[in-house]
Amino acid sequence: MTEPTPLTIGNELPSLTVDLTRADLVRYAGASTDFNPIHWSDRMARKVGMPSVIAHGMLTMATALRVVTDWVGDPAKVRSYSCRFTKPVPVPDDDAGTELRITGVVSALTDETATVTLTAVITGPDGEDVKVLGNAKVEVDRG
Amino acid sequence: MAITSEHAGRTYPATEPYQVSRAKIREFARAIGDDNPSYAGPNPVAPPTFAFVVASNAWEAMFADKELGLALRQVIHGEQRFDYTRALRAGDEVVGRLTIDQVRLRGAAEFITTTVDVRTTKGEPVCTVTAQLIHNREDATSKEVER
Repeated sequence: MTEPTPLTIGNELPSLTVDLTRADLVRYAGASTDFNPIHWSDRMARKVGMPSVIAHGMLTMATALRVVTDWVGDPAKVRSYSCRFTKPVPVPDDDAGTELRITGVVSALTDETATVTLTAVITGPDGEDVKVLGNAKVEVDRG
Repeated sequence: MAITSEHAGRTYPATEPYQVSRAKIREFARAIGDDNPSYAGPNPVAPPTFAFVVASNAWEAMFADKELGLALRQVIHGEQRFDYTRALRAGDEVVGRLTIDQVRLRGAAEFITTTVDVRTTKGEPVCTVTAQLIHNREDATSKEVER
């Protein structure tokens, strides 16, 4: 692990910004075998109350975890990972997609593990930050 | 038929064995835009959230259970948790066994918490995948299902 010495609560991890496009959603649908139409059909997404096609929650969750796995290097050090999906991530049918910005901060430490709290935001219709994951926590081995 | 709190505790038979392959790991890592070298080479580990792919196979038994009246297209993912005993690796052959932990009703929405126990075909535990699914009943209007 590229641990600063000493690792302390409040340490910030390098952040990550990713643009999610419709092509990314199609690719994730295929790789994950999650073919729920709310991730590729505007018509079906609106039927369940969404403004448009939304990203797979699991794609957002997987993308956010990269902040931690990039930091620890070895993904096998992840002991647990949990979050709530608080707001949908609408992805427009254009080339730019939706910008997802992820930050992580060390929020708990034991001798064996570090817990990182992740924040993932998109930009809302009025330019405000919209948190799309709630209580996102990753526990990793420190060894 | 519809799912109720009385279905909590119901467990389904384990899925057919799923063989984790290098090609699938590479495909999944590419789909999440992750070029971590641990996902490449002759003996790669799978990205941690890949366990969800195995877990979602286990959901099929629940969605096929006519007594519950569930439809995948009516589902929104509410919460997700992974607890790992170890990382999934290429060559692992694993099965998932789903249990319905809790069912709560709120208006037209059914909040269903499920746990999938993922282990190798030899019985070695790998991870536990816990999901809260929000199922909006077919007869609900779009206004009713907004959270």
